[in-house]
Amino acid sequence: MVRTLRFAALVLALFPALAAADEPAALLPPNRPIEQVVDHYLDAALQAAKVQPAPRADDAELLRRLTLDLNGRIPTSAELADYLANSDSEKKGKLVDRLLASPAFVRHQALEFVAMLQPDTGERRRGQAKDGLRTYLEKALAENRPWDRVFRELMLPDDADPKTKGASDYLRGRVKDLNRLTIDVSTMFFGVNVSCAQCHDHPHVTDWKQDHFYGLKAFFARTFEAGGRVAERDTGVVKFIPNKGKEKVARVMFLTGKVVDAPGMQEAPKQPKGRRPGGAKGEKAPPPPKFSLRAKLVELALEPGQRDFFARSIVNRLWHRHFGRGLVAPLDQMHSANPASHPELLQWLARDVVEHGYDLRRLVRGLVLSNAYARGSRWASGDVPDEKLFAVAQVRPLTPMQMAVSLRLAATDPAALAGSGPEFEKRIDALEKNAARLAGLFPQPGDNFQVGVSEAMLFANNENLLKELLADAPGLLVHRLKQVTSLEERAEQAVRSVLSRAARAAEVQALTEYMRRREDRPVAAVQQVVWALLTSAEFRFNH
Amino acid sequence: MAGKQSHRFCGSPEHPLNRRGFLGTMAAAGAGLFADMTGLQALAAPEVANELRRGEKRCIMLWLAGGASQLETFDPKPGAVTGGPFRSIQTSVPGVHISELMPRMARRLKDTCIIRSLNTRNGDHASGARIMMRGRANEAGLAYPDLGAVLARECGRPDSQVPDYVSFYFATEGRNMAPGNPGFLGARYGSMDLTTSMIPENIRPPAGISDADHHSRAELRDLLSRGFERGRTSPGLDSHNYAYRRVHGLMGNERLFDIAREPQALRDRYGPTLFGQQCLAARRLVEAGVPFVRVGRAWWDSHGQNFDTHEEMVPELDHVMATLLDDLEARGLLQHTLVITLAEFGRTPNINSQLGRDHFASAWSCTLSGCGIKGGSVYGRTDATGNRVADGEIGAPQLYATIYRALGINHQKNYYVGARPVPLTDPGTEPIREVLA
Repeated sequence: MVRTLRFAALVLALFPALAAADEPAALLPPNRPIEQVVDHYLDAALQAAKVQPAPRADDAELLRRLTLDLNGRIPTSAELADYLANSDSEKKGKLVDRLLASPAFVRHQALEFVAMLQPDTGERRRGQAKDGLRTYLEKALAENRPWDRVFRELMLPDDADPKTKGASDYLRGRVKDLNRLTIDVSTMFFGVNVSCAQCHDHPHVTDWKQDHFYGLKAFFARTFEAGGRVAERDTGVVKFIPNKGKEKVARVMFLTGKVVDAPGMQEAPKQPKGRRPGGAKGEKAPPPPKFSLRAKLVELALEPGQRDFFARSIVNRLWHRHFGRGLVAPLDQMHSANPASHPELLQWLARDVVEHGYDLRRLVRGLVLSNAYARGSRWASGDVPDEKLFAVAQVRPLTPMQMAVSLRLAATDPAALAGSGPEFEKRIDALEKNAARLAGLFPQPGDNFQVGVSEAMLFANNENLLKELLADAPGLLVHRLKQVTSLEERAEQAVRSVLSRAARAAEVQALTEYMRRREDRPVAAVQQVVWALLTSAEFRFNH
Repeated sequence: MAGKQSHRFCGSPEHPLNRRGFLGTMAAAGAGLFADMTGLQALAAPEVANELRRGEKRCIMLWLAGGASQLETFDPKPGAVTGGPFRSIQTSVPGVHISELMPRMARRLKDTCIIRSLNTRNGDHASGARIMMRGRANEAGLAYPDLGAVLARECGRPDSQVPDYVSFYFATEGRNMAPGNPGFLGARYGSMDLTTSMIPENIRPPAGISDADHHSRAELRDLLSRGFERGRTSPGLDSHNYAYRRVHGLMGNERLFDIAREPQALRDRYGPTLFGQQCLAARRLVEAGVPFVRVGRAWWDSHGQNFDTHEEMVPELDHVMATLLDDLEARGLLQHTLVITLAEFGRTPNINSQLGRDHFASAWSCTLSGCGIKGGSVYGRTDATGNRVADGEIGAPQLYATIYRALGINHQKNYYVGARPVPLTDPGTEPIREVLA
């Protein structure tokens, strides 16, 4: 009990918002646009550190970054030309809204969440597996279902409801290993990795005791699989042997230290060997429990006073996705010993996302409209400032699908991708479907991502891939370029198509010279130029 | 001393020629277009690189996928109810007996330590294999690198002309159970997998492009990337350029995989089997500086007809393993190369109704040979029937701590995943001193 009180005090000290709804004086008022608040807090930290941030990215770089982040692909040449020619002072906001309204936004977001929720999905399956969870997420995100509702549907799945079909995959894949389920839920939804506390109190973080790990696990102790369904019993407890002392029954306790007084705190009756109720496929599902601990977890995690973990975690994850680093880094270490780079901003954003019904699209929109998001990725001279200041945009590796779709798009004849509206969206959708197999060739990047030499070997020598991207065939970029008479124009078109920007004079000169030396083999020359652009670092990263 | 010489980078007589030839090609290709680009930095000073290489360690893992029986290999129990039909034979080490199916290893046990007391507690192929390749189970949210990836990281070099981690695994059985996996270290340290051909995928240039164009194209790529890199730094970005700058070095080293370049007499010694050929290729690779090579030999999962299976397969293992150790020793490589013979688990002492043995992780064996190992020794003991470890029980963590120490790597070294320190082996794990030289 003493420990719990001490912990509660600690939480209050560290998460002041929990303590006092009457003390938000330190925070900016709630009705401000997200982007302004982001810049307010980031600029304040920059000024305090006396750091002048990198200048704003130019239009082409920003268009590429936004299109990759929101629609999972690079822009087409036509989109680039339109955007550069557009003199509307509101063009960035309009672009963001167009990208957010595209069906590609939903598909890309779904993949990002699949990567978060199912990180073990095999390399080969990535991007192509239309598994239940991805189908569910696409449906949920298409109607911009609030994040708290998604959480509830994942934790309390109902396969009979067509609106949530597929959501049960999350639990079903984990129910056989409750330790893993506990750690995954805690990591993915609460930003807290309690795995250390499985064996011992966390060595450095006073917040995490064994009681927290087993307390959280207790919410899942009665969950089991029956005939392919996830079910829950009326009774069941978690026992553990603390580092000091004898085996004990874990109290059902949330991360904040809040303890649930649950009925049925005894061991589940031993199931007779063999068949269990609902044990075979097609049989009736086991009856739901009278008191569901899992439902209690959802209720508690979203309750005022308890929901900070949930709200901060999703804010931090979306921040990380768009800025390349979390306000708290790493994402699963949101605890007192690891404070946020901008605590007030995190607090403001968490409050905002709660107040606006966990509307993720709104949050994403706010983040990408900030000046901070739009900074250039180049640091001209001197030491690069601490990443925590977000003074310069990070260079972020493309995800497997971003890479695959962008490769296919860049290799396509730009004329085939002109236009806009539903026809264009349909073409992009088809392109994505064709790119799915390609996505399986690339690893999902983590925080310490490094490119392997096998990827370079693949691009250098794999005939199938090179044929797919560089064949002299109608509909492909190479075929189009070889019909352009001027070598300079060929070079410029190639750079626009692949790197989504205008070519610089030195590049035009180098590429032109390269092709001129190969006038006896003009197609090969074009192929090599496009190859060098596709394999350049500038293409491989979002910047 | 000759042996020591041959350990240096250019062990194979043709290797220096290859390197020089490659430099020549680079110079010719690069001469025209971009005069300021001086080729690959990696090639700037090969002599210095060779000096640095001395003292570096290598590792070959003979991976007996499916689970070889300890009773028919290194921990026989002749006469016991669980013993099966094979006898045991005296080895070159007084008092130590192994299965009669391993006469050659019995004669050359001097470099090998037999560990007979593994209790790894996991009898499932896939998760057992993951544990035995890492020394521990993955955690949620933290995928550990396997041994190959750790050695790629510890012993490989960013600009290396040879791969860091090569894995031969042709059999379909069990290949997907535990593929090479760099875990949190990332793809940079991933394995070069050979699954269908003795020559790696994508190592030969595609049709329709000349050698010179292949190189010029790479230089053009490099030029474009350098422009982008100015003012931008990240480990990911660096790794991308390193990866591309290694391509031609690796392509130039295709011959490392070509065992036809070995004298016929030596190839005959390894024998005509795939396993034998791959072990010979593994020796060529470690000789050239590859830090880690795994040779997977599958089909050990003898739930039925265990004794027929082992009567057929153990002699091959015996022959190839002994030949490999002889060959490494003859070239002075054995003192720098650790040979690990390991599986995901052993097999039950109990003989089932199909005359098979099932999965068994409670009391089984592996061997460590060569670099850093006290040869001619046995560590640990099982009881009379082989059902339990009677003495010196260890799990995967201690085995791995021992492996790291044998290779001169601090087993408590930390990697950082974000701010979190992740030690190579779990805190408190100690290597087995008795196994180490």
